[in-house]
Amino acid sequence: MSLVRGSSWVARVGLAGVFLFAGLIKVGEPARFATDIANYHLLPWSLGVGLAFYLPWLEITSALALFWRKATKGSAILIALSVTVFIVATILARVRGIDLSCGCFGHAGRNLSFAGHLALDFLLLGLALFLLWLPEPATDR
Amino acid sequence: MKMKVLLALGLLGSLSDVHASLKWEQSQVELHPAPGDATAVGTFKYTNTGNTVVHFKSVHTSCGCTTAAQTKDQAAPGESGEITATFKVGASTGVQQKSVRVETDDPNEPFTTLVLRAVIPQLMELRPTFIYWESSEAPKPKIIAVKAAKELNTRSLKVTSSNANFATKVQLAGPNEFKIEVTPRDTANPSDASLKIEPDGGGKAFYATARVVNPTRAN
Amino acid sequence: MPQPLRAAFLVLMLALLPAAGEAIYFRQQVSWKQRPKADEVDVRTAQEWQALWLDARPGEDFQREHAPGAMPLNAENWDELLPDVLKAWTPGRKLIVYCSAQSCDASREVARRLREEAGLKDVFVLTGGWEAWKTEHR
Repeated sequence: MSLVRGSSWVARVGLAGVFLFAGLIKVGEPARFATDIANYHLLPWSLGVGLAFYLPWLEITSALALFWRKATKGSAILIALSVTVFIVATILARVRGIDLSCGCFGHAGRNLSFAGHLALDFLLLGLALFLLWLPEPATDR
Repeated sequence: MKMKVLLALGLLGSLSDVHASLKWEQSQVELHPAPGDATAVGTFKYTNTGNTVVHFKSVHTSCGCTTAAQTKDQAAPGESGEITATFKVGASTGVQQKSVRVETDDPNEPFTTLVLRAVIPQLMELRPTFIYWESSEAPKPKIIAVKAAKELNTRSLKVTSSNANFATKVQLAGPNEFKIEVTPRDTANPSDASLKIEPDGGGKAFYATARVVNPTRAN
Repeated sequence: MPQPLRAAFLVLMLALLPAAGEAIYFRQQVSWKQRPKADEVDVRTAQEWQALWLDARPGEDFQREHAPGAMPLNAENWDELLPDVLKAWTPGRKLIVYCSAQSCDASREVARRLREEAGLKDVFVLTGGWEAWKTEHR
């Protein structure tokens, strides 16, 4: 049991760390993040502005909720879903030949390569799915 | 049920027919100040066609270069009046559009936006008004192209450089068009000059700036 | 609804509260209707540049309060103010123009003239203008 608990702990700390950082760095910079979203050419501007306000807070709340026993699986679902969306958006942008700094980590992430970025995304997705797969009591604590 | 109440209210409203309304003769005024005018004044006339008094609450302009004044604080039924908007021309050029926002206690139309458009003639066009040499550059001449308005009847230009490091030469480039060739003596040290350009017909002087400058790293 | 989904929904809703608060707080800085034009720059980005700041508001407003290091440049006193700006600028340095708020067009006009008349290239307009700057530095 302790192995399960320990690994759950590690996965949650890892996910929460990345999501907290990604959220906090974008909070308070809606104009800039909205432009980053718009650069993907996937959404109309107004929707992007809404996301620019909402997404950082969603990242922060789901990171924190990972440590709330009753919500661990719930936020793992949210994180898995949002990471999937990020992956799809990144690949779409790449396929359509749009060159962009992904904007996921505000402007701190502008040096992240396409491959590095995808690798990180898949790692996060793996961690989230792992948390979902763990037996329920593991999320105790 | 709700519909009926609304309908009844609507009927009551239209029967009593107490309304205030300001009719503006025009909500947009276009001005063509003459060359050299310091201000351009637009007048917006109104008449109160309602049957109650309309009070002006505020009159705001969109920019500090425009001021507006209303002659009265209120307009009685049938009364006419005007609001004047003054645009300070200064060194503005081209088409300038400024708005005046009028707030009244007329419940139907509390806000009216009046638009003042000023088309300001340009007497002399300098392209560019700024030339510079980086200190690593050779001291080769650079050109300022000048187009003078026909009204000025310019046959020659007088160019005065505030700094002896910059020599100037004027060439005629066509009817009402000139070329000012500016040459720095050296580009080893930073220096700057203000170039005063005066048409021979007199009137307002125009200015250009020339500089030798140490480059900064791009940021 | 299974428990994890309910929790997920709750987290989604929880995030909405601070987001709404932020949207109200920054309402002057971001337009919901249209994307900023290519030459617009937001306060945060602008501050990272070693740019030359230009205040396009009327002289009285500038005297009362202005961004640190900003120089006045408005249409009324264009001929007198422009030379000082051109002498303070150095090649490669960006210029950022602001006026009172998002709705004012003075900064846009100043930026246009700097580009067209003075031939400067990197001229930007501050999104949200002075009001946005104030929000940022409250």
